[in-house]
Amino acid sequence: MGQGGEPRRAQAYDGELGAAVARAQDGDESAFAVVYRIVQPGLLGYLRGIVGDDAEDVASDAWLEIARDLGRFKGDGAGFRGWTATIARHRALDHLRRLRVRPRASALEQDVLDLPGPHDTHDQVVESLSTERALDLVRGLPPDQAEAVLLRVVVGLDGPAAARVLGKRPGAVRTAAHRGLKRLARQLGVEGVTDDGPRTLGESK
Amino acid sequence: MGERTSGGGDAHRRHAHPARCAPDTDGHPQVEALLTRALRHPDVAPERERQAVAAFRAAREAGAHRARTRRRDDWRPRAQRHTVRSLRATLSVVLASLALGGVAVAAIGSSGSSQGSADDGAPRTPSASAPDDRRAGPAPTVTSGTSAGQDRPPSAQDTEAQCRAYDQVAGRGKALDATAWQRLLAAAGGEENVTAYCAAHTASATPAPENSRGGGGGQDKSGEGADPAAGTTGDAGNGNAGNTEGGGDTGAAGDTATVGSTGNNGRPEPEKTPDAKGGEQ
Repeated sequence: MGQGGEPRRAQAYDGELGAAVARAQDGDESAFAVVYRIVQPGLLGYLRGIVGDDAEDVASDAWLEIARDLGRFKGDGAGFRGWTATIARHRALDHLRRLRVRPRASALEQDVLDLPGPHDTHDQVVESLSTERALDLVRGLPPDQAEAVLLRVVVGLDGPAAARVLGKRPGAVRTAAHRGLKRLARQLGVEGVTDDGPRTLGESK
Repeated sequence: MGERTSGGGDAHRRHAHPARCAPDTDGHPQVEALLTRALRHPDVAPERERQAVAAFRAAREAGAHRARTRRRDDWRPRAQRHTVRSLRATLSVVLASLALGGVAVAAIGSSGSSQGSADDGAPRTPSASAPDDRRAGPAPTVTSGTSAGQDRPPSAQDTEAQCRAYDQVAGRGKALDATAWQRLLAAAGGEENVTAYCAAHTASATPAPENSRGGGGGQDKSGEGADPAAGTTGDAGNGNAGNTEGGGDTGAAGDTATVGSTGNNGRPEPEKTPDAKGGEQ
């Protein structure tokens, strides 16, 4: 896999993003604003998943670096997403280190997370998911799974790009993303749940 | 990975692209859509955007955008980057295999040449490693002890080799005069007895190959072993070319011929040595 053969996963606006990056590299300020608007949502979502409330601050740090090093970047729109995610991740890790990493969800919170939320029902497919709950669920995943899921789904990176951001083998990232999503699916009562009965409280993850 | 249909249909999500492989997240499109909608929002704070643009301006003015691309900044599609990497990888593999091949060839060559000197080819007259001994034939017989060039006392391996060589050279008068022949003759008690002696001897030695690989090399019966080219048959896979050649070799010249002998072209075969020697019996 990934021997240069796996096509890149293109997102909406990747083409537009690539063009805007090129113009910004030539000095076009408004193009840079476009770049920001396209990239920031995914970046913020990713950062919220790994640093929680301080995501906006970390994102601002990341954008300083992105703005400064813009000229160094080489690649297309999808590559830009990977490059900016890497920068954001480094800033996030620095941030966590400064704070001496906050502990993950406590045991009590875990029980809470297992309860069906107001948006979930046993028999219906979950139609929407609040940001709050989504974050809770994702942050309840093992860190490698959380990051893999966030990079793949929220930032929209393909397998090889996500692996590069994380500094791991593509296979490991693939597995982590798969497991993370499976677990989330179970928690959300979405496809993948094998038991037909009502969800049990404190269901093992 | 097959075509992945985007279950979410979210405009902000990826385009459905026919050529694209399904991502590893295949199978959970609903979860992905939910997560995306829940977590991916436009930034509601305009001041952050302003700050970012200001930083961009400052960097531009400072000429930071002329900086070079570091490895970590190169995110071009893998096809472009991959070519260079694969070329390098290919070259390194080719060079590595050539190097290994070269070593192997050299190994064969060196052992072959030492064999060659000891025992030349068809009429493999068992003789001392010194080439002239061989050719000389008649003369050296006198210098028995030393001419062999070996200080080793004749051993069963030697006999083995001698007998084998005898078959090769039977009838070729000169060969019979070589020192090793003399030994064989002495041991056998005369020329007419050699055949019987050899028969008895090689028969007893036959099982030896099973005893140890080491012994096997020296005693390869398969085609008289006299053939250096075929030497390898004697000792499969033993990497020890000297060893395999056991063939006709001259017991005298033994080192190369028989397995386990220390003379194995310096190739260390420690475990073989005792076996080879013992295996003969």
